[in-house]
Amino acid sequence: MKTIPALAVGIGLRQPHYREVFERAPALGFLEVHSENFFLDGGASMHALERARAAYPISLHGVGLSLGSADALAQAHLAKLKRLVERVEPALVSEHLSWSGVGARHFNDLLPMPHTREALALLTERVDRVQSTLKRSILIENVSAYFEFQDSDMSETALLAELARRTGCGVLLDVNNLYVNAVNFGFDPIERLAELSPDVIGEMHLAGHTSADGCLIDTHGARVCREVWALFEEACRRFGPKPTLIEWDTDLPALDVLLNEATTAACIAATSARQAVEVAHA
Amino acid sequence: MHELLELQRDLAGSLHDVRAASRAQRWLAGDTVLIEQRLAIYRANVAAAATKALGAAYPVLRQVVGEAFFDGLARAYQGLVPSTSGDLHDYGEAFAGFVADFPHTQSLPYLPDLARLEWAVHRAYGAADAKAWDRQALAQVAPARQSALRFDWAAGTSIVDSSFPIARVWLIHQPEFEGEFGVDWSVRECALVTREGFRVAVAALGAGDAAFIAASLAGAALGASAERALAADPGFDLGQLLGRLMTSNVICGFTNNEDE
Repeated sequence: MKTIPALAVGIGLRQPHYREVFERAPALGFLEVHSENFFLDGGASMHALERARAAYPISLHGVGLSLGSADALAQAHLAKLKRLVERVEPALVSEHLSWSGVGARHFNDLLPMPHTREALALLTERVDRVQSTLKRSILIENVSAYFEFQDSDMSETALLAELARRTGCGVLLDVNNLYVNAVNFGFDPIERLAELSPDVIGEMHLAGHTSADGCLIDTHGARVCREVWALFEEACRRFGPKPTLIEWDTDLPALDVLLNEATTAACIAATSARQAVEVAHA
Repeated sequence: MHELLELQRDLAGSLHDVRAASRAQRWLAGDTVLIEQRLAIYRANVAAAATKALGAAYPVLRQVVGEAFFDGLARAYQGLVPSTSGDLHDYGEAFAGFVADFPHTQSLPYLPDLARLEWAVHRAYGAADAKAWDRQALAQVAPARQSALRFDWAAGTSIVDSSFPIARVWLIHQPEFEGEFGVDWSVRECALVTREGFRVAVAALGAGDAAFIAASLAGAALGASAERALAADPGFDLGQLLGRLMTSNVICGFTNNEDE
């Protein structure tokens, strides 16, 4: 198993880029893939993942486990994830603070949870179960949301911090999601950063979003915007550098666009790390 | 207690059915108009993801009916058969049956068979890689035992029988296809789907080859499979077919059951 250094920057590996990534072998700290794209027995995709893991540390990012479904955890889905984790031996495994369906229905979207004691208790039990099944700790990511629940009595970051304290899981801080929610619901994202301690942050995500009718929508289909870069810089100052991912899933651009974004992220992370050292020695 | 379950059931109801929007209202902050706008964002995301997944599983069908029509078809399917898996690659298994009943595609009667073929291709893509095997061992089997042999087939191998030339339709819609685009609609085709290395291949089968493979895939012994093939086509050439299937590793082993 390869580990990911704190200053590492990676990109999401998507099928149209497989060949170019293998041929050019760009200097990246890690590659992240969606776990569900590799719930397969064999074939071209599994072969590509084998090639990727021979050259880079791998992060398995799940989008379909639906940890927060109140009725049941999908055991069959968890079993497939376990098989993949055993096969790939990834450096990181992550999922979301979300639910995707109830009963037999699956929406295949990351629906937000109400931030309540009941949700925290449920998620604690689920994260415990996933970590004991996978025999490793996982990271849980904050999600973009387009509505808020009346019953929420804490912030998402406070819930994540408590979840991490109870289960030993880490936090995958999606800086773009935090920014999207800050705009959609009118809060100060920097105050939310203060609710998280540096040692629980295991990874950060950067992505682009779009805007429609006064609502920011997380699309993973655009460059990282200026405000999100600024928030990332602040996060690096507070948390120190953490493995950081450029996430791009829709309207996939040329690989070089992703690599340029990765270079920007690496510069910001390195600068903030240097400043942190200077402050410590001052 | 169990408020969360109630909340999720209400929200799911509102996301699934636009007429049930009021169910979500009591849980969400903001006014009715805002909540409806935001629910609409999620509904659009959900529909787009499922439509994209169907388009990825049925790329030829999508070309045949056109993108705009396919998107409508996909939306109609989602209304009847919602996703039940956290892995969208599982979504669309019942699409062939849905297309067979859909009133506006009745003028394209081959679509359901084409859909069955594409689902078989979709499944073959991620099937287990075939293992290397010792073909010499086959020659060691005593002639008297040969008809009792059962072949092992590479994962992902399947046949799709049709009254239409579906293998031909599939082939001419592949991006790498070169040549004439004509289709002889009077031809009935049984299509063979195989994984050859990492590539999924589709080929039209003659009646004898189709009967042999269908019987053998279903577990029949070599002798019984060959009898069925000869009944379907007196000119069936077993040696030629086996040579082809073994070279491409579609037949990837055998069981020599000594008790038979």
